[in-house]
Amino acid sequence: MSEPTLILGIGNLLLGNEGVGVQFVQQLEKEEWPDWIHFLDGGTGGFHLLSEMEKYPVVVILDATMDGNPEGHVNLIQPKFASDYPPTLSAHDVGLKDLISSLYLLGKVPEVYLITISIEGIQPMTMNLTEKVNNAYNEVRKLLKTLSGKLLRRVGV
Amino acid sequence: MADRLVIDPITRIEGHLRVEVEVQDGKVVDAYSSGTMVRLIEEIVKGRDPRDIWAFVGRVCGVCTTVHSLASVRSVENALGIKIPPNAELVRNLMFCTQYIHDHVVHFYHLHALDWVDIVSATKADPLKTSEIAESISNYPKSSPKYFADLQKRLNGFISSGQLGIFANGYWGHPAYKLPPEINLIGVAHYLDALEWQKEIVKVHAIFGGKNPHPNYLVGGMACAINVDEANAINAERLAMVGQLLRQAKDFVNQVYVPDVLAVAPHYFDWASIGGGLSNYLSYGDLPTNGYNDPSSFKFPRGAILNRDLSKVHEVDPTDPSQIQEYVKHSWYSYTEGDDKGKFPWDGETKMNFTGPEPPYDQLNVEDKYSWVKTPRWKGNPMEVGPLSRMLVGYALGKDEFTKAVDGALKYLGVPAEALFSTLGRTAARALETQLVANWALEFYDQLILNIKNGDERMANMELWEPESWPDLAKGVGTTEAPRGALAHWSVIKERKIENYQLIVPSTWNSSPRDAAGQRSAYEEALLNTPVENPEQPVEILRTIHSFDPCMACAVHLYDEKGEHVHNLNVF
Repeated sequence: MSEPTLILGIGNLLLGNEGVGVQFVQQLEKEEWPDWIHFLDGGTGGFHLLSEMEKYPVVVILDATMDGNPEGHVNLIQPKFASDYPPTLSAHDVGLKDLISSLYLLGKVPEVYLITISIEGIQPMTMNLTEKVNNAYNEVRKLLKTLSGKLLRRVGV
Repeated sequence: MADRLVIDPITRIEGHLRVEVEVQDGKVVDAYSSGTMVRLIEEIVKGRDPRDIWAFVGRVCGVCTTVHSLASVRSVENALGIKIPPNAELVRNLMFCTQYIHDHVVHFYHLHALDWVDIVSATKADPLKTSEIAESISNYPKSSPKYFADLQKRLNGFISSGQLGIFANGYWGHPAYKLPPEINLIGVAHYLDALEWQKEIVKVHAIFGGKNPHPNYLVGGMACAINVDEANAINAERLAMVGQLLRQAKDFVNQVYVPDVLAVAPHYFDWASIGGGLSNYLSYGDLPTNGYNDPSSFKFPRGAILNRDLSKVHEVDPTDPSQIQEYVKHSWYSYTEGDDKGKFPWDGETKMNFTGPEPPYDQLNVEDKYSWVKTPRWKGNPMEVGPLSRMLVGYALGKDEFTKAVDGALKYLGVPAEALFSTLGRTAARALETQLVANWALEFYDQLILNIKNGDERMANMELWEPESWPDLAKGVGTTEAPRGALAHWSVIKERKIENYQLIVPSTWNSSPRDAAGQRSAYEEALLNTPVENPEQPVEILRTIHSFDPCMACAVHLYDEKGEHVHNLNVF
């Protein structure tokens, strides 16, 4: 068993691809995972997520990004500071960056991994993902499996 | 030729506000406020069961997550003649108080303080001196030299690595920042402490309302079962937790929030004569101690003040069609009988009529319609609503707690009563009323516990729950005081369904465009004569807008006289 790990999906469910983090977390949650991995639909919770993030030594954030990569491109980074995040994490970026900065200043920053899914612009008022973004699911899932295996090995299991 | 500053929306926290400001010779000479997104929830609730409406309209706002639900259940109860049990009133009051304390503290530290506190300057503070100042203004325990030195170290690491992160959008070093480094460091420390604290206090909403944001309400009372011995009800343990959270909140307000406001204020006395704006103030009042139908029992009294004449408080009747009217002369709606006349909300209409330019646009045509916000008037007068209005109405009525709080602060700061009518006065009024609310919350809590001990566990009145018991036609109004000001929902219930529903929210009063007579509303008026030292960094504009707690995050775009985009900044 590894340290408790939170998989946190963020984004706005009503803005199509922008909500991919949330949609993927809802999907991932239905699959089989070790019991030390917890999932949370963080929506556009912003600072409300502070208490959840403080509870976990390891947090993996799933979020949409407009980083210029083709739609559906998946990337895993380990950001240290807010400015390590890709330039435009769409409409809710300020909330996430502020959250991380606050945790840093509070001296409570967990080990954060960020899985981004590239999107191209924001679609207004739809709950559907485009095909390319939706197709990123398997890669995100695979990345999480690999990451969880690494976290497990780290504690010598 | 005046420069025009545009303060434009970004979808981030809540709401969409755009302000266009004309600056000449370093001062604002005119201002236009525009809501750029339509709400239209009034149309969504038409034809629905009146008992369900609170759940829809509660979603109008995720920041003040309780107030619209409260106004809605009151509106329906008022229409149908439903009286709620005393415990339900007390629980609603506790939700109200929790919302206030949370909202005002978060607004001050996380949305407004950085207009006054210079983060970068805090790195130059002497921790020992900071500790001495902190201990001289408050008995808050986290005030040791080590506490400030540790924080400063983290802050230094943060800034020296080029990571301003959370604070990246400030105008650091702007000459309008006047605080000594030590007070700036106290401000940063409490910014972070408030962030930690705020996640606790909202648990009161979750305990009584099942969840937060958007806790549950109920027409006829509250949807929470009290049973001190039952594991799945609101039991003794959870009630004790509420008491503890409220006491902690009171300590935080008294030891941190209020002392900080009083410590910052003397460095900004110039702001005691800037940003006053309108001279009319409206409060519906709230926090009943003898039921919602008895406004004379409200802790926040109801009333209106005209022309800053504190010797007379006018009676306000939200059911009187001659008192409250909404205009659409400059709003993107049309009225069946023409747009020059106002409408009382029971007869209100929400028919969209967008005549504005296709976005993105440089400037709005302010001669025509220019906002999705309607323009409400009280007896034809533009009114400011919010903390300042509430404190002034209580003060003018000579209510003991209000006069003590206001006179105490004026004396402490050594400023005359006129200082209240300003950006600084508005900011101070918010802090002072938080102190009152934190006290009242514990009174309500004690009363609730006493009632329960005496065996009264009633939480809802279901006598008129069934639609068969309702008349064919009923009209109601539910008023409350949202943290940002007077809020009311008007409902018309016909054949057991919502026939018409209208909201006038606080930011409608404050942020509305001009009325049919060309009178400015609160934001537009308050911005007049605001100095703008450096149009590249219009922190002064933000100070006044933020003093209203506009409940919206804005991006500031700055245009020169040719309409060229010269600057673009995200600002809390």
